[in-house]
Amino acid sequence: MVKISVLQHAPSVHLPARPGDPTPTTRNLDPLMHPFARARERNRALNAAKMDRLFAKPFVGALEGHIDAVEVLCKKPGSLSAVASGSWDGGVILHNVSERKHIRRIQGAHKGKVSGLCFAQDDRLLSCGVDSNIKLWDASPQDDITEQRPLNVYPGKSPFNSIDHHRSDPLFATASNIVQIWDETKSAAISNLTFPTSTETITSVRFNLSETSVLGSIGSDRTFTLYDIRTGKAERRVVMQMRSNALAWSPTFPTAVLLASEDHNLYTFDVRQLKNPTHIYKGHVAAVMSCDWSPTGLEFVSGGWDRTVRIWKEGQGTGPEVYHTKRMQRVSSSIFTADARFVLTGSDDGNVRIWKAKASEKLGVITARERAAIEYRDSLKDRWKHDNEVGRIARKRHLPKPVYQAAKLKRTMLDSRAVKEERRRKHTRAGESKPNAERKKVVIAEQT
Amino acid sequence: MSARVKSSRISKPGTSKLRTSLKKSNAAGYAKRHSQKSSGKAAVAFDDVYEYAPSKVRRAKIGLELDREEATDRHNYASDDGVDLGGMGQEGREGLRARLLGENADDERVDSGDDEEIDSDDAFEESDEEKYAGFDFSSKRSKTAGISSKKNARKLPQSLPEVDLNEDSDDAVSDAVSADILDEDEDEEMEDGDADTFFDVLEVFDGKADAEDDAPAKQAAEKTKAPVSDVSDEASELEDDKMSEDEQDDQDEEEDAISASEDEASPEALAELESFLSKLDPAEDKKRKSNDISATQSVLKKRRLMQERTEAGAEGEFGVSAGGSRALKLDDLLAPLASSSALTALKKSTKALTSTSSKTKTLSAPLPQRAQERLDREAAYEQTKEEVDKWSATMKHIKQAEHLSFPLQAQPEGRVSNLELAAKFKPSNELESAVDNLLKSAQLRDQDIAGTEALKMAHLSVEEVAARRAELRMMRELAFRADRKAKRIAKIKSKAYRRIRKKQRERLGGEEGDEDEDVEDAGARLKAEVERARERATLRHKTTGKWAKAMQGREGLDVDQRQAIGEMLERGEKLRRRIQGEMSGDESEDSESDDEEQDVETIKRGAFEELAMLNASEDATSADVKSKSVFNMKFMRDAAARQILEADAAADDFLKEMGGVEQGSDDDASGDGTVTEGPLVQRVGGRVTYHPGTSAHAKPAGSHASETSSVTLQSADLVQDDRNSSNAISSPRVSTPVQEINPWLVASSSSGPSRKRSEVLVQKGSDALAKSTNKLKKRTAKGGEEQERIRDDAVLEIDTSNVLTEPTSAPAIVNTKRAPKGKGKEKPKNGGVIAQLSPDDADESDGHSEVDEQERTLERRRQGGKGKGVTAFKQRELVSLAFAGDNVVQTFEDLKQVEIEADAPREVDTTLPGWGSWGGTGTKKLPPRPNLIKKIAGVDPSSRADYKKAHVIISERRDKKAAKYLVKELPYPYTSHAQYARSMDIPIGAEWNTRVGFQRGTLPRVVKKMGTIIEPLVKPS
Repeated sequence: MVKISVLQHAPSVHLPARPGDPTPTTRNLDPLMHPFARARERNRALNAAKMDRLFAKPFVGALEGHIDAVEVLCKKPGSLSAVASGSWDGGVILHNVSERKHIRRIQGAHKGKVSGLCFAQDDRLLSCGVDSNIKLWDASPQDDITEQRPLNVYPGKSPFNSIDHHRSDPLFATASNIVQIWDETKSAAISNLTFPTSTETITSVRFNLSETSVLGSIGSDRTFTLYDIRTGKAERRVVMQMRSNALAWSPTFPTAVLLASEDHNLYTFDVRQLKNPTHIYKGHVAAVMSCDWSPTGLEFVSGGWDRTVRIWKEGQGTGPEVYHTKRMQRVSSSIFTADARFVLTGSDDGNVRIWKAKASEKLGVITARERAAIEYRDSLKDRWKHDNEVGRIARKRHLPKPVYQAAKLKRTMLDSRAVKEERRRKHTRAGESKPNAERKKVVIAEQT
Repeated sequence: MSARVKSSRISKPGTSKLRTSLKKSNAAGYAKRHSQKSSGKAAVAFDDVYEYAPSKVRRAKIGLELDREEATDRHNYASDDGVDLGGMGQEGREGLRARLLGENADDERVDSGDDEEIDSDDAFEESDEEKYAGFDFSSKRSKTAGISSKKNARKLPQSLPEVDLNEDSDDAVSDAVSADILDEDEDEEMEDGDADTFFDVLEVFDGKADAEDDAPAKQAAEKTKAPVSDVSDEASELEDDKMSEDEQDDQDEEEDAISASEDEASPEALAELESFLSKLDPAEDKKRKSNDISATQSVLKKRRLMQERTEAGAEGEFGVSAGGSRALKLDDLLAPLASSSALTALKKSTKALTSTSSKTKTLSAPLPQRAQERLDREAAYEQTKEEVDKWSATMKHIKQAEHLSFPLQAQPEGRVSNLELAAKFKPSNELESAVDNLLKSAQLRDQDIAGTEALKMAHLSVEEVAARRAELRMMRELAFRADRKAKRIAKIKSKAYRRIRKKQRERLGGEEGDEDEDVEDAGARLKAEVERARERATLRHKTTGKWAKAMQGREGLDVDQRQAIGEMLERGEKLRRRIQGEMSGDESEDSESDDEEQDVETIKRGAFEELAMLNASEDATSADVKSKSVFNMKFMRDAAARQILEADAAADDFLKEMGGVEQGSDDDASGDGTVTEGPLVQRVGGRVTYHPGTSAHAKPAGSHASETSSVTLQSADLVQDDRNSSNAISSPRVSTPVQEINPWLVASSSSGPSRKRSEVLVQKGSDALAKSTNKLKKRTAKGGEEQERIRDDAVLEIDTSNVLTEPTSAPAIVNTKRAPKGKGKEKPKNGGVIAQLSPDDADESDGHSEVDEQERTLERRRQGGKGKGVTAFKQRELVSLAFAGDNVVQTFEDLKQVEIEADAPREVDTTLPGWGSWGGTGTKKLPPRPNLIKKIAGVDPSSRADYKKAHVIISERRDKKAAKYLVKELPYPYTSHAQYARSMDIPIGAEWNTRVGFQRGTLPRVVKKMGTIIEPLVKPS
């Protein structure tokens, strides 16, 4: 018997199975063989956090064209690039975000400011203004981008503050001192949903995106009101401590509504339970002027009177991403794009700005290996976020000095208030005053 | 006055018709709306007033009737049931009032209304009541109606309890501010105000409703508004009822007179009224415009007039029910049909209706609009909530999902089949059209092919076509079945099934392989060889290998293969032995492996034969060897003898093993005679070597021992001398059991206490552990230890002697077990204790020479058989070697001390000699400067974590480098330290994970595709 010693070459062991695959590496997975695994990973996490901050360049570009402050922005449903903006000078511009061009420019669409914009079906745009008119425009790209003729005009009795279109039906709702439902084909409002005892000015009205016949509105009387066009009624009204400036319905959680409040906070409410908000989002140092959900429903953007744009994670009430620019003024409108990757803000300086929703995201093509590396870095950051150094770097945001000072002052004030309250409680008879949860303070009354 | 009260009475059963007018009048009470409504609405109200003027009279009658009827009953228990009755009245009133106020209320003050009413009720004074009630009754009496109408009047209020509740909350608006004031004012007013003038006015209104001009009427109406509101506001209404009933009797006559005059006097008083109104008008207007305080007076005046207006409103309402003295019934309607034949059927059908209607079940009045709306809103909210709540499962799902890939509701793209594509295909560019043209010209397109086939078929006869079709169908069917079967089989996941199937396949393949083995090329063989080499390389020498299995499967094996298998098996065997620690592989390696397949019997037989041959040859050699020189030398001979002995022993062992019972019986037969020497002691060059003796005689001895062991327990008083004498007996071959056992008996008796003592000692020793630091003492202890050890061995020996039947190493094991244990325990033992013990030792008492000792052990061995003592000795040696100088406790304490000292706070003098001080001769040595003494805080020994914990050292040092991997507090989602530690335990990098594990570990929670529109969730329709 001849003994043969074989030097065998089995390519399947050490070559990639398919052309694109990474070369398989054989490693000993015994943890005892890797005594420094944790140290290495921590170091990587630290580097990842640093890189994240290093590459955090969220500003993408600005869309110019308005003469006056931008009051309102709206995106076209089912489109990534079409965005309309309305200004205080009464002009409406239809932008193509991806090409950063104007699709359409309507000067003097309204007398006075354009207070509301929304897209109707079939490439049409609805705008309302303080001149008590609602106008329907053709929003399809044309050669003459400055054509001025509206397709239709719906006259109203009082200045409109907001307009929103039904998701599927040819209906739209407007807010003036009353909430009205209009049919696109009729020149007068088809119904009035106002809460009977309401004497307030309705500042904004929004249709729910998934539960399409449900509406919400906010008013100058510090109220949030819920409507349903099926029952044709204002169903419930919530009076809060401070008035809200904007509202947005969550696209993935149909019961959740987000309110941007004058008291620097944002609140999410569950419409099934309006007694108190589900979450409070604290971060702005001035009134929050606008808010919009990301299409994923897991994030939202808010723009504030403090000249910052903040991007929040749903359910995480502090530590938002903060964007600011030297020349950006009060942010009066902010929206997410339909692919949840960009944020658009309109501010008092008349610019519409494009931001990345994730500050350090790389734009452009990303290879599989790069993506794997990014994902690895992200999960490392997430895993080590409790680490002192990593967490500190990841949390650190540079703020403009006024914002920083205001935040500091605000913190001081709130702290001292809390201390005072605590002292007061300590010196009242035992059990007489209980600490009131922050969430329970928000709503004053729930009216039926 | 009576007229005013009348009017209030009438307004009580107000229904929907009346409401509007009332509403308006009440609304006019507001300063805000007053300006808007003043002219037009007041006019409307006035119109109403006129309209309902006649009915007012009826209503009054009814009221009277009612009062009278019930007066007797109620008056009796007015004190008792006053509440009840009052409650009724109150309800009615409130119902009315509620409506009045509810319409106007913009803001609702829920709480104050009821209380205030009650207060005002209480505040009502007797005198007021009298008057008020008096007016009431006068009016009622003057306009009496039937009982039925009265009942209606009472029932209407009853049907509105809810309204009351709802509207109570609303009322406050109208005059919450001045409610109390109004009470008083009203009362005062009633006293002060000129009753006659009022009557006049009212009469005028009553009688001359039609004739009167608009202007004064309006004024009057306006004036009346305030009073109405007053009345409604206050719960005095309740008292109105009560009082009216209470004082009915008293004032009946008077009222009668007044009312009569009232009716008659109305036309006459017109002029008076006009003058009065003209007087009042400007003042009224002013007052209305002015606020609170000044308003009170105007309110008074308004009140008077207000009642007038409400009266009118109420009348119209009441007129319906009271117009006919009896209610219109269904029978009345049917009466004209009496002649017709269908009447009976009709009556039957209407029976239900008539029966219900006869019980006077009136429909309850609809709720006031606001209350109704609120209820609607609540219901609508519930509805919406319900609708929205259908999303809860989805939302929960999204919230809890570990990974989300957006868009969540992506439509699955329908897969486009080839057929579809082909059907849709139209040539778009040149190339395609060219190809298409070619195909067309060649008639190779699908439809052409079908056409040609049809042409071909045309030539064939019907049968042929049928046959062909059948054949095709058959083929298709078969193919389909095969396909399905293959699919089914492919789906089977059972491992067992796969294994069986694989084997089947292999067998098939093997058979085939056998068949064409000759044809098999060299490549296949090479492959097999490679496989085999791999198997060898993996050191798998079992039959489980792939190659081996393949070989097993085959039936006809050639020599080479068989040999290879044998080799493999043999190697496996060798390895196994090596693993078991048997090093005697040499002989078996060569001999046995080849003929495994032979019978065991034959092997045995062969072995025995061989043995016999060996024995024979040995004898021969031993005979021959004598002549030779070197081998004759003593040491060689000794060595040879030793070898022979070993061989003998081995042979004996083997015999015993293999021979089993028959051999044993043979041995027994010859037993004592054949095995002579037993254990053998040889001294070679001053060394003593021990050989294990044969265990042939073990069995009988063992049996005896077992008997005697029981004896030993009984008779422990045997003396050592006996044992010595037994020791002296030189030939232990044929020994009486008693003789044999005696020495052990003694030994065992002695061993008993000694062992006990040793146990006691252990305890003592452990106590005295700390004391034994002296080396000298230790040494003596060691000396004692050795003696102890020897004695212990002896003890153990005795134990083993009881089990002589077992020639195996069981006793040795016992020894090994005990030896270290004894040692371990005895280590800390005191020397003194041992010294005490030593005289007890039986062995010591005999003699102290080592030779004797050895002799004795030898003797023991001879009787006991194997060399257990030796093994025990070895074990002890080994253990002591292993733990030589091992003073664990002390070392531990020292270590701890060192640790404590290292951590203790201390001061370090950091002065550098020669720096900062003068040198040279004559300089004083200065004490160290305090600023150069560095104090290191350290940890106070008493504050250490391991303070007073003798068995542990807990380090107080903090590892700075490790500190950065620690967190101050447990991060949020984790609930325990262990949980967090585990989550951080396994790294997620690619270096420490498999590829898949890495991918899975780093998969982000939310995945969005670039440039994909994420639509909001759509409700599934």
